[in-house]
Amino acid sequence: MSSRMEERLKDILAKVLLVDKANINDRTSRKNMEEWDSMAHLMLVSEIESVFEVMMSDDDITEIETVGDIKKVLRKLGVAI
Amino acid sequence: MTPDDVSKKRTGESVSSQLKEILDLIRKEPTHLNYWNAYKRIQRLNLEALDVPNEKRIKVALLSSFTIDPLAVYIDIKSRLTGLYPEIYIGPFNQYQQEILDEGSKLYAFKPDVVVLAVQAESLLGEDFYSGFMKFSEKEQHRAEIIDQLKKLLSLLTSRTKALVLMNNFMVPSFTPLGILDNKMDMGLKSFFYGLNQRLTDLYRESNQVYVVDLEGVASKYGKSRCLNYQMYYMGSFGLSESFLPVVAEEYMGYIKALKNLTRKCIVLDLDNILWGGIIGEDGFDGIKLGKDSPGNAYVDFQRLLLSYYNRGIILAINSKNNYEDAIKVIREHPYMVLREKHFATMRINWQDKVQNMIELAKEINIGLDSMAFVDDNPREREQIKQALPQILVVDMPSSPFLYRQALEDLNDFNVLALTEEDKMRGEMYYARKMREELRESMTSVEDFLKSLEMKIVIKYADDFNLPRIARMVNKTNQFNLTTRRYTDVEIKKMREKRDEFSIYSLQVIDKFGDEGIVGLAIVRKEPQTWILDSFLMSCRVIGRKVETAFLAKIVADAKKEGISTIIGEYIPTQKNAPVKDFYPDHGFEKFLQEGDLSKWRLDLTQSTVKMPKWLEVQDE
Repeated sequence: MSSRMEERLKDILAKVLLVDKANINDRTSRKNMEEWDSMAHLMLVSEIESVFEVMMSDDDITEIETVGDIKKVLRKLGVAI
Repeated sequence: MTPDDVSKKRTGESVSSQLKEILDLIRKEPTHLNYWNAYKRIQRLNLEALDVPNEKRIKVALLSSFTIDPLAVYIDIKSRLTGLYPEIYIGPFNQYQQEILDEGSKLYAFKPDVVVLAVQAESLLGEDFYSGFMKFSEKEQHRAEIIDQLKKLLSLLTSRTKALVLMNNFMVPSFTPLGILDNKMDMGLKSFFYGLNQRLTDLYRESNQVYVVDLEGVASKYGKSRCLNYQMYYMGSFGLSESFLPVVAEEYMGYIKALKNLTRKCIVLDLDNILWGGIIGEDGFDGIKLGKDSPGNAYVDFQRLLLSYYNRGIILAINSKNNYEDAIKVIREHPYMVLREKHFATMRINWQDKVQNMIELAKEINIGLDSMAFVDDNPREREQIKQALPQILVVDMPSSPFLYRQALEDLNDFNVLALTEEDKMRGEMYYARKMREELRESMTSVEDFLKSLEMKIVIKYADDFNLPRIARMVNKTNQFNLTTRRYTDVEIKKMREKRDEFSIYSLQVIDKFGDEGIVGLAIVRKEPQTWILDSFLMSCRVIGRKVETAFLAKIVADAKKEGISTIIGEYIPTQKNAPVKDFYPDHGFEKFLQEGDLSKWRLDLTQSTVKMPKWLEVQDE
């Protein structure tokens, strides 16, 4: 189950940030990715929210720095990832 | 070719195939995520390596009071999907006023063809407008001030750029603190906005540069409660929700397509299960569904929509597999048919391949395949046309006739930036042409035929009334066009104002079958001793009647009257204008200069002239 969820998250990340899915892991971070700017960040949030049917809080959204953080937030919202 | 050219060409080809691949993906799966992804990937391509003809380029500037980047994504991709190559400038966040006011701003340096001015009411009204509305005593004056502010901005913008300006009107708020009493007040919140929008519309009704985009209408159709994603609005000032973005972009595309002449002029219709329900060959005259009861009423209504398009100047034609006698009987005699024989420029009702029919129709009506739309209920026929003639817009008709009307209404491919008198008469003109062709066939000599037409031509200078038609001809005429120079409405208007430097002539043809409207146009650049024919063009529909000679003769006569000694004709060959190759030599001009593609031809007015054909009556105005 969780691996399918993970695939869906990676699909979004790959398309928003223009990276190869194989190169995405939990440590993939905003800091070392040029494409992950504030516009892309909001794009990620809106796509993740619509795919996983959740709504993140403002704090969650601003505190996300890495792919691992996204998963943490999703788990908190009840997504099995 | 030098090795550099070869390598440049190769890069161009590779970029072009990558671009196609990205766009094909979007065609298959047009999701928000894919739009974003496609846009970002395209931005990474070496787009400058592409060899793009100028007429396919478009520069769009987006100015707004909110984060408009996501709209850029849609306008960029949607333009590319229609075959355009856009370049987009996104103004800095909420600095649309500064960009317009500052003559040195990046906006002006960008030299846009289109400026989208996307402004929310809040940015003009002030943040405390809604909360303070009830206490507001001078609402009328406040509204006048806003209009005045916009007017000043827009007049500055239009004086500094030739771009088409798309200014949205304002979404009328669905919430009002007055609730059900809103329209019991002298001026409720909604009336305030309705009035504001009306003023804006009135202000630019006559403008050929500023178009007021009906955002209020688009939002109502889509559903105002879905137009904003509040989370994204508060976090990132996104003024349009993800799902509303493509709808708004599509509205802007209507203007962009009209500006770039990507307009469909003709709707080609199937008959069975399109204009009526059932199959005439099987169900018979009394068995087909067309009338007051469902589903016959849906077909009647669909025909009414087509008639409204016809009355606006869209050409209708038929391409149907049927026995001609069966089908024509319905068209002529069925009591509930809305469209009759006279509404169709021409018909192909036969058992021939529909692709072949389409090619013949285009030839007979004399328009390009890229001006045609095809409406057929049969997916196989649609697919066949799509494959064989990709230039044609094949409408994806829904399977239920109840949805036909909506499907056609949703297309934004029939837009033009101005509607001319010719447009409204077009249907009748095609019918007159059919009659004219029949007369030609009955005559033995061309001269007899031309005499029998009792042609009159009216030549006059461009005026406000015929300017939209002239601008359209300049941008659309390909075949009988000596230089194929394109000018925008604004450029033409400016030329017209410089009467000492330019004369713009229009030519109208009338014969016993009807008024053809304005069918010819010449732009003369005037120098002290010389007149130069910068542009000389005619509509295909009057070619072969010597009107071109009459038109030239009139200009020559005018030049002589003014004491001009030489007329110079310019000619630039294109892939499409072969019919005018010998136009100048045929009229006694001599070639004296060749600069690249451009050749210049001279007629010495002290020695020679161009004679007016005998059978034409010229009315001077």
